[in-house]
Amino acid sequence: MYQYNEFDRNFVNQRVAHYRDQTERYLQGDLSEDEFLQLRLRNGLYVQRLAPMLRVAIPYGTLSSQQLRALASISNDFDRGYGHLSTRQNMQFNWPALEDVPDILQALADVDMHAIQTSGSCIRNVTTDQFAGAAADEEIDPRPFCELLRQWSTSHPEFEWLPRKFKIAVTGATFDRAAIGVHDIGIRMSGSSEQPEDALADIYAGGGLGRTPVLGALIREQLPVKHLLTYTEAIMRVYNRYGRRDNKYKARIKILVRALTAEGFKAQVDEEWAAINHEQGAVPAAELSRLSAFFAPPSFAELDNASELLGTQRLENPAFNRWMKHNVHPHRVSGYSVVTLSTKATGMPPGDVSSDQMDAVASWANSYGFGEIRISHEQNFVLPHIPQDKLYALWQQADAIGLGHFNAGLISDMICCPGGDYCSLANAKSLPVAEAIQRRFADYDYQHDLGSLDLNISGCMNACGHHHVGHIGILGVDKKGQEFYQISLGGHAGHSGEAPRLGQIIGPSVAREEVCDVIEKVIQVYLGLRFEGETFLSCFNRIGILPFKESIYAKAA
Amino acid sequence: MPRLLKRIHGDWQICDVAETPWIAQDEWRAGSALQVSVDAEPSTEWLDASSIAIDFPAMTDGRGLSLAVLLRNRLGYRGELVARGSVHQDIVHFLARCGFDAIELPDEERLETALKWINPHTGYYQPSVISSESTLTSAN
Repeated sequence: MYQYNEFDRNFVNQRVAHYRDQTERYLQGDLSEDEFLQLRLRNGLYVQRLAPMLRVAIPYGTLSSQQLRALASISNDFDRGYGHLSTRQNMQFNWPALEDVPDILQALADVDMHAIQTSGSCIRNVTTDQFAGAAADEEIDPRPFCELLRQWSTSHPEFEWLPRKFKIAVTGATFDRAAIGVHDIGIRMSGSSEQPEDALADIYAGGGLGRTPVLGALIREQLPVKHLLTYTEAIMRVYNRYGRRDNKYKARIKILVRALTAEGFKAQVDEEWAAINHEQGAVPAAELSRLSAFFAPPSFAELDNASELLGTQRLENPAFNRWMKHNVHPHRVSGYSVVTLSTKATGMPPGDVSSDQMDAVASWANSYGFGEIRISHEQNFVLPHIPQDKLYALWQQADAIGLGHFNAGLISDMICCPGGDYCSLANAKSLPVAEAIQRRFADYDYQHDLGSLDLNISGCMNACGHHHVGHIGILGVDKKGQEFYQISLGGHAGHSGEAPRLGQIIGPSVAREEVCDVIEKVIQVYLGLRFEGETFLSCFNRIGILPFKESIYAKAA
Repeated sequence: MPRLLKRIHGDWQICDVAETPWIAQDEWRAGSALQVSVDAEPSTEWLDASSIAIDFPAMTDGRGLSLAVLLRNRLGYRGELVARGSVHQDIVHFLARCGFDAIELPDEERLETALKWINPHTGYYQPSVISSESTLTSAN
């Protein structure tokens, strides 16, 4: 993974010093609430319903065991002993004291981390495939390009004060686990990690969720990667100058792209790019090689696949067998696997992890997996390089501490925002809904029979829980002061290799106590009409939304 | 006499200056001081201004930053470029790196703080209007 040099360390330390001074001036009354708001947001600090919330950047979801241990310590020293894995592959602390934040940021800087640009109308943490560098379906490792964009976008002089927040995602695999279609900029890399300077980028722009969900449009094909920064600069400049600033709900780039049409937007970006001296601004091949070298594969041992051993272990232990089936994914190197450690235990808020769990994951990463950890946008931990003969030991340890659930990709592995319990934007709570659904579908055989099913919950139309791209999406809405939930079906984020698609709303929203019954009816329609082996999504594609509507809203005879 | 932050021979300092008679774009004539809004389209006519000010409607409005970059890099404007309006003392470093060489604050008492944070980092990741140095192109 990327290693900070003196320059990076100085940069984050100097940023902490500036923020410490800003905090002191705010506490002395020299900065107003509104002024300080803009400054603290760009250092990761929100003020939530109950307390401040600090969002720590985990660049493209990759961190070292040392960094995860530091996060555990921070949660003990400054918070309540836990953290929350977000859908942007970041970690959030829910209970820091505002006065402590400069010290927390210093503790982060001490392990080469920061909270820069994790909120505010600026370029946010770049996200990617949580299996990057390990996935069997990967063509090129996206992380060097993510790091390039991270550095370029950090404190960019021109693009720190955009009309609205700006999210970039990058993928380099057949199956798009980064959901590039629903980002302000989505980048699909092609080429080979051995020749990073020859890589090409397909650029999508104008995707996003929120109250106006849109899929990004392909505006540039096969851009030589040396032009990635200048082309991004052209997009950002067009957006910064012409994106709407009069209405925050119409300020995302997707609204501009729609207003200009994708062709019109592309023409404007191309015109801007033509005017930039993009040869002078090209990223040198040596820089691309330098960044790529940080992501060279770890020194894998020459191992055979441990099929026989695993076969015996799976037969002996049904719980391990289930976990193997759902939480262990193919690795590009024989004898290794990619492991998802699910945070979705029933009754625990999805994505919440205790400091003990963080320490444990860090130590497993050290003992089994080259010290490397990922956070997925599904809010789980991923250990990307685990030797297959260590899987059983890892699972036993994980299971003992509540991280051994077998539900990766199943209905109970839901994406869920913190919702009205924490977030001041939320219209409705999301955590009790998640818990109720997990309880309803807790039975393994039932879940397993349902197969791969993405259920995503957002507590408001800002869509942090990605409800638009859930196979089943649940959105909290406010109806005259009452919490209601709107259900949509058939969305997907593009993980299956097809272009992503937004879900269709099934009908009028329902009260919280009815949500589980509605989901149950949806499931029953699927179970009744599916062909053998047909996933929920494939079945939906074939039968459409009507049978579901009829079942849920059928009038009593 | 207004006080502002000025970059003189590469160094930023607080200066007392004579009041500039800014003229808005629709009434402006070559040779006089031009004040434009952040949504103005840059024009080569502006090269004949004695000075150019960009008026920021809010500290969060980044359009003036892009406009400054275009003035410097695209039009090749080399004269004085002043940031005015709702300019905040904690974001002056962005202004400086986008090519402003004079900064007015709504509250002159904050000029000291602005000067303190005019350059909070010893180096930056990207090249900018005022520096071609960049970690990302260091291999050049």
